[in-house]
Formats: sequence, structure tokens, C-alpha cells
Amino acid sequence: MANPLRGEVVTLYKNLLFLGREYPKGEVFFKERLKKAFMKNKDVSDPEKIRELISRGEFVIKELEALYFLRKYRAMKQRYYEDGPGS
Amino acid sequence: MASRVLCVCVRSALRPLPRRSLPALSSSSACRQRSSLARPTSGAPVLATQMYEGSYRNNKVSDSLYQSCRQYSGPPPLTLEGISERVLYVLKLYDKVDPEKLAIGSHFMKDLGLDSLDQVEIIMAMEDEFGFEIPDADGEKLMTPQEIVDYIADKKDVYE
Repeated sequence: MANPLRGEVVTLYKNLLFLGREYPKGEVFFKERLKKAFMKNKDVSDPEKIRELISRGEFVIKELEALYFLRKYRAMKQRYYEDGPGS
Repeated sequence: MASRVLCVCVRSALRPLPRRSLPALSSSSACRQRSSLARPTSGAPVLATQMYEGSYRNNKVSDSLYQSCRQYSGPPPLTLEGISERVLYVLKLYDKVDPEKLAIGSHFMKDLGLDSLDQVEIIMAMEDEFGFEIPDADGEKLMTPQEIVDYIADKKDVYE
């Protein structure tokens, strides 16, 4: 409980939860998966391993941001060019 | 008197749809003017002053009606009861909390069987409900609904 990395993990969870609100498949789906992913590693106590997992979580944050940017870009493109992304 | 009764009727009729009350309001004030014009022809000057008083009161009423139509006032002030009601309401809507077991002093982990990740979610829900951010360091310590209420009251300067 008194792990110094606990704060970082909680912050990561919070950030992911916040990003998951606009997940295309719905917030509930995202929340369940997120919780499962965190619970899977709840017994990890090695600081190196925890750091590794945190950096993986940050990578997922980047992926989600990229996903949202791509979605936005596609929506914009569809509105400006009627024939679709091919043209 | 008749105009006051009319006013009460109009007010009760207006309540359910505040958005559309402006045109109705102008028509009702026209009616009121007509009725106050109709009365003094049969009455003495004393009655006229009464009517004046009455119409003055009506104006005040219509002012308050007009005020209630406006929709850009701030939120109502928070009270301790209001905060605890909203906190418990948010917790009841959270699917992992059993509404039967929920009490103002129940511990999230010991009494309600939640884990620390659920607690983080609850703190985020509180942030959404009350519209301000709770820092992680403070959020970790909030383990009962009562502590959340105290924390929010402290941050929002509610003392009672």
C-alpha cells in the first residue's frame, strides 16, 4: 500500500479513465477492460516492473490520443470533401 | 382583488412552461390593465387608491415573475444537507455500490467492498458532480461519504 509508485499508478488510471469517456465502443466497455488490465497486475511489487507497466499505460494514452485525432481528422475530411477519403 | 386572483391564476398557469411565459406575460398584464381601468369608474377615490396599491403589488408580482423567467443566475448556494444529498445520490447511481448498505459513514473498502480503483472512480464522479478538481493527494484520503462531504464543504466555504 505504501508503495511510492502508487500515486503514479492512480494518476495513470485517472488519466485513462478520463480519456475513455469518448471511446468509440462506449465508456462502459472501456472501463471494464481498463479495470481488468489494472487488476491483472495488482500483485506486481517489483519497482522496475511497475515502471515498465506504467510506461506501457502511457503508451496506451498516446494511442488513444492518436485515435481521437484520427477520428476528428476523418470527420473533418468527410465534411469538406463529399466523395470520401479516396479523392 | 379580482386582478390579484387573476394574477395568481396566471402565475399558476405559467409555472409549468417558463420558457414561453413572456408573450403570455404581456397579454396577462394587458388583461390586468383593462380590469383595473374598468373598476374605478364605479368606485370612490378611496377605492382608486386601493386599486393603485393593488396594481403596484401586481407590478411587483410581475417583476418577480419576470425575474423567475430569467435563467442566467448562479447556482443556488450549497448547504451541508444539499452536499450530502448529492454525494449519496452519486454513490447510489454507481453500479458497484449496494444502495441498501450505503450510509453516510460507511467505509468504501471495509463496508462497501470496493477497491482502490473504484475509489478513484468515485472521486472522479464527485469532481464531475461538483465541478471542481480534487487533487490526487486529497482524493486518496477520502474514504467515506462523510469525508467527501466535509472536504467539499471545506473547499466551497460552506460552514453551518
